[in-house]
This record gives sequence, structure tokens and C-alpha cells, in this order.
Amino acid sequence: MSLAIHTSDLAWRAGRDFALRDVALHVPAGSLYGFLGPNGSGKTTTIRLLLGLLRPAGGSITVLGRPVPSAISEVLARTGYVPERPHIYPTHTVGEALDYHSAFYPAWSADWASELVAGFRLDRARRVSALSKGETGKLMILLALAQRPELLVLDEPTDGLDPVVRRDVLGAVLEYVSQTGATVFLSSHLVHELERICDWVGVMDAGRLVTEMPMQRFKNGIKRLRVMEAPAELSTPPFSVLSRQPNGAGELMVVNGWEPAMSQYFESVGATLREVADLDLEEGFVELLRASRQPSR
Amino acid sequence: MFRAILLTQWKWSRLAIVAAIVLAFTIPILSVQRFAGSGAEWIEGRIVLQSMRAFAGWYALLASAVGLGMAVTAWSADHRGRHVYALSLPVPRWQFALMRFGAGALMLLLPALALWAGALLATSSVSIPAGMQAFPGSIAVRFLLGSLVIYSLFFAIASGTARTAGWVLGGLLVIVALVAFDSSIGLPDAITNDLLDFVLAWPRAIELFTGRWMLIDV
Repeated sequence: MSLAIHTSDLAWRAGRDFALRDVALHVPAGSLYGFLGPNGSGKTTTIRLLLGLLRPAGGSITVLGRPVPSAISEVLARTGYVPERPHIYPTHTVGEALDYHSAFYPAWSADWASELVAGFRLDRARRVSALSKGETGKLMILLALAQRPELLVLDEPTDGLDPVVRRDVLGAVLEYVSQTGATVFLSSHLVHELERICDWVGVMDAGRLVTEMPMQRFKNGIKRLRVMEAPAELSTPPFSVLSRQPNGAGELMVVNGWEPAMSQYFESVGATLREVADLDLEEGFVELLRASRQPSR
Repeated sequence: MFRAILLTQWKWSRLAIVAAIVLAFTIPILSVQRFAGSGAEWIEGRIVLQSMRAFAGWYALLASAVGLGMAVTAWSADHRGRHVYALSLPVPRWQFALMRFGAGALMLLLPALALWAGALLATSSVSIPAGMQAFPGSIAVRFLLGSLVIYSLFFAIASGTARTAGWVLGGLLVIVALVAFDSSIGLPDAITNDLLDFVLAWPRAIELFTGRWMLIDV
């Protein structure tokens, strides 16, 4: 599997309050990778490190096969970036913002930019500072897409947008990906948004990458089990236990990495599995975070 | 790329530049108003020099203001966006800063050219006393260099973080305050002179402002 983004032991520190530790990302080329995490978990910091906006304190970063930060200009020429907060100059008009941005990207497609301007119903003569939040979001996506990138890094691109604009923006991204096979690295705290479009997911919490796996496994692998007579200590289970809580005569267990064949495990430890229930992605995400915040069992 | 940066710089600073062009064109003309069109065949050199001296400070002041204004506008939009846009463009930082600097420096040519034109017009409209000479080219070049010096200095300061700029400017202010109040705090003259040299003479280019900004001189 070739990787569009690979980090190992990535570390960064901001004062005493916040640090990234041992972040090891593996973003497959051509994937739509959802980078999930609560606010303040380190998603934006990780993205800034990936794009050379911050210098890592330790570890290594490879983006599109090139080392970062040493080959950052080459990486940025092939990467479309939509930051959390709009970064373009507010005094520019939409047309001027397009002209300015296009001057830096040799692969810029003026035709496609024009199509997107029309599709998004943006007024070229309007100042960026006078655009609504939705229009600004569309313009940011437009700028990132029209440069024909191999990698799109989108930091909460739909945060605060209404559902119609959100659909337009994500629709444009998906159309681009289906045409070009580009990789998308999409950060969000909106679990359901990522669930619909991403095929890989990485979960950040408190500066650590809690888990990273295909979305299908994330969706299907986290289950709530009702178990009777389970021993206090489970010996080497084939799944990881995220939480346990008493429930009537038995207990409820939330597990990660579950497969149907694993039900036999409980018989082997003298317990009885009564029920296996699906968790929606948000519940699974919350359970994962809860488990990652507890001291290791 | 440079064209895009140049156009953006023009957009940010055009009002200030137009105002500077008007002032730069006007100052030399105003400086000769006192004796231009007087009809007298013979003008006393003393009056000419007095008038030139009266306006000398305005050239230096305008050159400083133009340089400072251009340096501030060059980076203010990036400061507001915490430099994320500039840093995320696929251009090495030094190259981006160089292009930004070049765009601003080119803009400085416009008021200098206006000053030259105004100076030529002014000096051609008066009869210069014997033993005196007009220096329209020299004063325009001095104006350009003066604005370029101030622009370079503040461009460098403004390109850093607000904290760095604060430290540098704060340091300079402390030195100026020490020099200004040296007698009341009992600072030895040698130290005062060294400090003053550090601020004014060490980057020798600033000495440009201590020269004679005279359109007509002996």
C-alpha cells in the first residue's frame, strides 16, 4: 500500500499545556481519510506540521513521497489546503483572489475554476471580506481544487456551514476525487460527515493518535456486548475492551475489533454472550475517546 | 508570481502612493514659490537658501513616511492571517519575502519620479542666482534612497512576529530615551554617544537623513 502521508514518532510541543506525542499516521494514496477528534485534540497542529507551517520537535514526516519540511515547496505545489479559518486576503475580490492564487500553481485549471465559480454562484467582483461564511467556504474549496492537487488537506472545511453549502462543498470534493483519484485528508469533529464519505479514519485525542483503521472496520468493529458471568480479568481477548459496566445480573462491554467468530471466546472463559449490539459511529467514537483517556488497565 | 504580488501591493498601497506622488510633486514647487515669478532679475541667494532649508525637512519626512507606510502595508494582511497563506504557498519563504520586498521597492519609484518631475518644473520656473545650482536629480535620488532605507528597515522588522517587532522597536525607544534624558540620569557622555552611534551611525544608510536636502544649493 503506497502512502500519501506517513509520519512516525511525530512530536511537537506548545508550552506546558499541549503536546503532540508519537503520532504515526499512515494515509493510503487515493483514500479519503477522515481525521477525527474533539476540539483541541491536535488535528490542526498535525495538519500544520504536515504542511510545514510548524516545525516538528521530533519524528519524521513524508508527504507525497517527499520529506517535510525539507521538500515543502514541492509538496505544497501538489497539495490543496483549506485551513480551519479562511487565510486568503480579505481585501481581494473573488476574481483577484483567483488570479493571485493561480499565479503560484502551474497546474491551475482556469476553465475548471470558472466552472466552479459559476457552479458555486460566486460573484467575481465581490470582496472576500463581504462574502458570507458559506461563500467563503466555497471559495476556499474552489481555490484548493482548481490547482489540481494530488492531495487535498481540508481542515474542518464545512464547520459552521449550512447543510446546502456543506453538500455543495463536499460534492465538489468528491467529484474531483472521482475524476483524479487524489487523496483527501479531511479533518473534522463531525463524525457523521466523515462516516458518509471517508474510507479510512484516524482518531486524535489529547495530542495522540488513538486509532487508525479502515472506516468499515471502525463502523463494524465497535460493538456493545451483553455478557453474563464474565470473569473480572479477561485473559488475552481477541478484541480490545473499551469499557465495562454492570447491567443487571451481567455486564455491558464495549469492544473494538469485534468479529462474529469471537463469540466463542466467552465460552472459553466460562462466560455467556447474550447480545451483540451495533453502535453508531458517534457512540463508537465517544467510547474510543473515553477508553483512551482512562489510565491503562 | 511577482506580477501577482506587485498588483496586490499596488491595491493595498495605491491611495497612500497617490497621496505621496501629489505631495512629492508639490513640495519642490512650493519651495520656490517665495521667489518664483517675482519678476526680479536678481534674487538674493540668501533668500533662496532660506526657502530651501525651510522645505528640506519635508523631503526627509515624506521619504520616511512613504518608506514606513509601504513596509507596513507589505505585511499587514499576512499578519492578520498569521502568515498562514504566505506559508502555505509553494514558494520558499525567502523567495516570497524577496518578491514582496521588490514589489514595495518598485512602488517607491513612483513618488521619487514625481519629486524629480516637480523639482525639474520648479527649477525651470526660477532664475537661479549666480554661484548656486539646482539639484533636481540628486534630491530625487536622495528621496528614493531615503524611502528605500526606511522601507528596508521596517520591512525587516515587520516581517517578523509582533513580539520581535516589539522588542526591536522597544529597544530603540529605550536607547532614544536614555540619550534624551542622559543628563538627568547621569549617564556618561561616552555611553550616550555610543548609543546614539548605534542607532544612527551603525547602519550608515540612516546618515542619509542627516545630509542636506536642498533643491537649490551652493
